Amino acid sequence: VIRLALPKGRNLGPVLAALAAAGLVSEGLGEAELGRRLRTTLPEAGIEALSLKDWDLPLYVEHGIADCGFVGSDVLGEVDGELLVPLRLHAGRSRLSLIGKGPDLPAPGSQVRLATKYPATARRVVAERPWGAEIVRLSGSVELAPVLDLAEIALDIVQTGRTLAENHLVELEEVSEVAACMVVNRASFQRHRDLLNRWIGRLEAAGVAS
Amino acid sequence: MRISADLPTGVAALLFGAARERREMEARLVRELEGSGYAEVILPVLDYAEPYDTLLTAASRGELYRFVDRDGQLLVLRSDFTPMLARLLAPRLASLDLPLRLFYRGDVVRYQEERAGRLREFYQLGAELLCRDGEDPGAADHEALRLFLRLLLQGTSGPVEVVLSFAGALDELLLGAAGDTGLGGPARLATAVARRERGVARQASEALFEVVDAGVPKDPAALGPTAAARLAGLAALRDDVAAEFPEVRLTIDLAEFAHQALHPELLEAVGERAYYDGIVFHAHAGPAGVAVGGGGRYDRLFRGLGAPVSAVGFSLGLDRLLAPGAARVTAQVAEIPEIAEVAT
Repeated sequence: VIRLALPKGRNLGPVLAALAAAGLVSEGLGEAELGRRLRTTLPEAGIEALSLKDWDLPLYVEHGIADCGFVGSDVLGEVDGELLVPLRLHAGRSRLSLIGKGPDLPAPGSQVRLATKYPATARRVVAERPWGAEIVRLSGSVELAPVLDLAEIALDIVQTGRTLAENHLVELEEVSEVAACMVVNRASFQRHRDLLNRWIGRLEAAGVAS
Repeated sequence: MRISADLPTGVAALLFGAARERREMEARLVRELEGSGYAEVILPVLDYAEPYDTLLTAASRGELYRFVDRDGQLLVLRSDFTPMLARLLAPRLASLDLPLRLFYRGDVVRYQEERAGRLREFYQLGAELLCRDGEDPGAADHEALRLFLRLLLQGTSGPVEVVLSFAGALDELLLGAAGDTGLGGPARLATAVARRERGVARQASEALFEVVDAGVPKDPAALGPTAAARLAGLAALRDDVAAEFPEVRLTIDLAEFAHQALHPELLEAVGERAYYDGIVFHAHAGPAGVAVGGGGRYDRLFRGLGAPVSAVGFSLGLDRLLAPGAARVTAQVAEIPEIAEVAT
């Protein structure tokens, strides 16, 4: 049995759809059903699914509690660990962007406050910019920070841009594309290489990941 | 006044049964080493910082705990036995009879980002085999790998995997393909290969994709003539050792060690312990596949110190061997008090 870590939240839908498209789980496996349970056994697929929060999921895989899982690349940028990342799903992609009231990025040489849930990524981003920033770590509602002047800019996920528009914010710069990634424990890959490579091959063949 | 029992991040106190368990395992492993003709060396915890400016990579230096002593000397806490041992032995080797079979044990201290399961102080036990330059390195590799496996089996139960490769195996492929990926250089490509990013590997070259997928290319000639010959030698060694240790799964996987390079352009990006220049290996053990140790050949470390010898060695993390998910099922330790370990 392979222990598969599934993310709660925005990535669960695209992940289940991809697994179903590859024939790895049944079409009927619903988000609601998984969301209610911490562990779900799928005997016909040889899978035990764990429902985990995005930020905890890499740790479970790195420690070998789960053999593999799916998590957003935004989270991996913060808590990557010693994980294998063989695939990125095509569906449900978004972007990690610098946002603010606009219209421009901070002027060269200026020092601003940057609010984000992703401090490590933010530090890497700022290190490559001509302006400096004090990183303000928040755990949610990051868009509020520039709206209410807690910070001049923010680094956050943008999907449709609707929330930004509603709050009179603009996307100043796309930093990276965000995708749900398949992550695999290194030892599990060695132990279950044939099976995991079959899964990976089916996801690729279904055209839902690469 | 109430005194806190709190400890700094990344260190643990082993109390009572947990301490006994580790000492018992240590004693078992030491018996095996001494029975194999290895003699103990005891190395200091403090050392000068200056020699490690050249002996370690930037990543390894970043792990060092450094401080200025009261007399103004910049010192480091021991972070790795092998470079320290090499530094101490290199000037003396001319007067010593080779081969030398040595083992060590003790704590090493490395700064690591705070994360569950990541200690900053951990207890290692390791062995080094030094032979005359030019003596059959294959025989020494064979001896070191067999000893590593014997110790591993003394220390764990359940499934054990050992992954093998050799430094520089992918250099030619990485240098040749890096320009096609838009990643910005071979070092970034090596990282992608080590993470088995299939999209990147596929874009780079078919052979790299095969390495990511299966551990080795379908046609070893894709590695270049030197690496292809070394891969054949490694496969022979693997088959030989596997026959002797059927309970251990021995796999050759070049992607797993994509960062262990020889070419200067790639060497810059090598992470920690970049001194390997021949066989490299590491092991996962127990139900959770805990990474418990590894090693390899490091002739260039001695060569850089002006002592051309053949050197191969390994270390095992005793904390890792005893970690949940890797631990050997030992005889019941009696009278374990309620508090067995205090860790932060």
